[in-house]
Amino acid sequence: MSSRLMPGVLDNRRFLVFALLVPVLAFFVVFNTIPTLWLLGLSFHKFSLISGMPPEFFGLRNFEDIYYNKNGIWGDLGRTFLFVGVGVTVQTVLGVLLGFLFWGSKDMPGRRIALTLLFTPMVLTPVATGTFFRFIYDPTFGVLNALLTGGLGMGVVDFLGNPKIAYWAVLAVDCWMWTPFMTLMTLAALGSVPKAELEAAEIDRLSWPKRISLVIWHHGKFILMLGILLRTIDAFKTLDLIIPMTKGGPGQTTRLVAVELNKQSFESFNMGWSSAYSVLLLLISIAMTSIFIYILNRRRRAR
Amino acid sequence: MTVGSGSRAGNGLVLPRRTLLKSGAALGLSGLVSAPFINRLMAQESHPLAGQKIEMNILGIAGWLPSSLGVQMSPLFAEFAKEKYGYDVSFGFAEAPFSDLFQKAATSLATRSQEYNIIISDSQWLGALARPGWILQLDDIIAKNPNLQLEWYSQTVVDTYMTYPDNSGNRWGLPQEGDTIALFVRKDLLENEEEKSAFQAKYNIPLPQTFEDFEKLTMEDFEKVAEFFTRPDQQLWGTASQYSRVYDFCTCFLYPYMWSQGGEIWNPETGQVEGILNSDINATAMDQYKGLLKYQPQGALNYGIAEIIDVFTQGKVFSAFQWAAVGLGMITDANRDQVMVVPPPMHGKGADAKRVYSMGGQPWVLNAFNDETKMRVAIDFLNWWYLPETTLEFAKRGGNPTDKATLSNPDFDNINPWNRAYKYMLEPGRSRDFWHHPRYSEMLAVQQEGFTSFMTGTTASARQALDYIACQQQQILYDDGSAAERPSDACSAVSL
Repeated sequence: MSSRLMPGVLDNRRFLVFALLVPVLAFFVVFNTIPTLWLLGLSFHKFSLISGMPPEFFGLRNFEDIYYNKNGIWGDLGRTFLFVGVGVTVQTVLGVLLGFLFWGSKDMPGRRIALTLLFTPMVLTPVATGTFFRFIYDPTFGVLNALLTGGLGMGVVDFLGNPKIAYWAVLAVDCWMWTPFMTLMTLAALGSVPKAELEAAEIDRLSWPKRISLVIWHHGKFILMLGILLRTIDAFKTLDLIIPMTKGGPGQTTRLVAVELNKQSFESFNMGWSSAYSVLLLLISIAMTSIFIYILNRRRRAR
Repeated sequence: MTVGSGSRAGNGLVLPRRTLLKSGAALGLSGLVSAPFINRLMAQESHPLAGQKIEMNILGIAGWLPSSLGVQMSPLFAEFAKEKYGYDVSFGFAEAPFSDLFQKAATSLATRSQEYNIIISDSQWLGALARPGWILQLDDIIAKNPNLQLEWYSQTVVDTYMTYPDNSGNRWGLPQEGDTIALFVRKDLLENEEEKSAFQAKYNIPLPQTFEDFEKLTMEDFEKVAEFFTRPDQQLWGTASQYSRVYDFCTCFLYPYMWSQGGEIWNPETGQVEGILNSDINATAMDQYKGLLKYQPQGALNYGIAEIIDVFTQGKVFSAFQWAAVGLGMITDANRDQVMVVPPPMHGKGADAKRVYSMGGQPWVLNAFNDETKMRVAIDFLNWWYLPETTLEFAKRGGNPTDKATLSNPDFDNINPWNRAYKYMLEPGRSRDFWHHPRYSEMLAVQQEGFTSFMTGTTASARQALDYIACQQQQILYDDGSAAERPSDACSAVSL
């Protein structure tokens, strides 16, 4: 009887789809939905992991504290938006330029090695990259200062200790690390452009700006925008690069939202307030993603 | 009666004389051969775990030599336990850097796990580990184990590594490693005749030469020495100290400026911070500590323990304020003959000058969720750790014991170059610890941010940074219920 039932059940497409989705859904619910709901619940509580006391309902106090700038979080948000804006813009511009360079030089000798070297920073662990650059930037032993003083005859620069420079020094490392990602996305975007359309554009003697706007952008924009979206979300969460380099200092100059959240949750174990802060950051991330999706779909809706 | 070979007398067993003699000889020989074994058996105490195999786990501080010494010496305990108690014990080790170890321990202990049976804690974490009941209160265990009833070198040891809350007499830890701040100086530069003459000519005082000279040295005079050796054109600077934002690095080396000049950081009885920490004395102390940067390499703002070791061992600085516990890192084969370890300078002038520096070091604490077996082994381990031969071995390997018997040993000062300075600084009143409060990490994070903000010039005045820290810490303690007073209205306008 069961042998008769099984083919029938498996033939039911709805059931099959559901059966295949169950493991993923279970994983999603256990590791995503429940923790998120837990986080949301905890954000209305006062709870310190080291108090030995159970969570105490706190109403909206944690959100009130955030509104009234507890721990200077609005400053952190400002620095983070600047970090994301400048960082992703620089990485996109450089990444696109490098992408076009490699796309247009397919017969260049050593292209593969050059590409491999270019992508290396992206695959390094951010903590290791941060540590390397802490040494590279070091005023006494660092190679960069050795070049500046020995090679260019300049004075010693305290890249990570000078509050006027530290932020940009950290941002430069982020750009060094993630520009290759945008190059990769650009190459993928360019690869999605049909050759026939490019050849037709060439036969029609379209200028390069027109080829880019009418042919390449038309086909490649989704992948490129996806790259920008991923980088934006990732840059918004930057933590592991900053911890080994400056730990948010000097003062608060490189303290981004994730650095403060890490401090409050895993150094101070202030779980209630950290949960409220996480909810806020989650909402900001959702808002940013929605904006990107809206931009991507705008033209489609216009049609 | 002579007994013939193979003959019987009545029902008794009759043995030939030769056989009897041979048997006697064999018995005697076997007795001689087995004597050590029998002795060992006799030496073994009747132990409930005899014959068992037990695996223990220690959580320690990564990259911290004293912590690793505790770990390296644990096989000696395994031998000892086998011999004395008759059980086999093996040790697994986990470690994390200073700044992350509490996080690693706390997240494990919060789940009532016995993942780490013995933990090398930092002294300031005693409150945070004790209040939720994560670690075992040791008073009963100390009372039942005479080996743990040691006479410590000074009350500072008890206050720093054992007691929570302060002055309560409740003991939660036992010292794994004692530590104080010492000044590591380049003896070869001090003894150079040209340097001596030049210094005398420039400052009209002699260049300090001996331990005793440094014992009398004030910070004002030390700054002259530091200035004298600051020669950026020769890639040499006068000194190096810690200003890093990581963990408690800046705090521990700034506090001596405050304490030595009469400043306080809080009232532990009332939990009051505001009005105590943000005092004029402390603001002046911060200005002075920032002033010391003049004699240090650029980049000193990021100096922590490791960076100080780097600049000192590579000959970039004449002197360095550093923990005595990392003496083995500071004194290498290459500079062994060139280094002297002395007490750090006093603050103030004349008869009022004094030195009160920060305590370092770590206690052992026991996981309260250990099962009976693991707890028994952990207690055996502590009993072994404080045996005179173990503490001496610890010292010989570069560790800093804290018991009076070892430190009073006439040979102790000569075991390591830093031992004399360490012992000197361990004397009552010369070093002190701070906050064993459960909200330690939160208070520290705010403080490090404020101190480094001023040191780096992000915050213009020391007073502004102190006001910010005091308000934040007052709020933390008020929220915790430890402070009666909430932050004053003035705090609403305070920021870094």
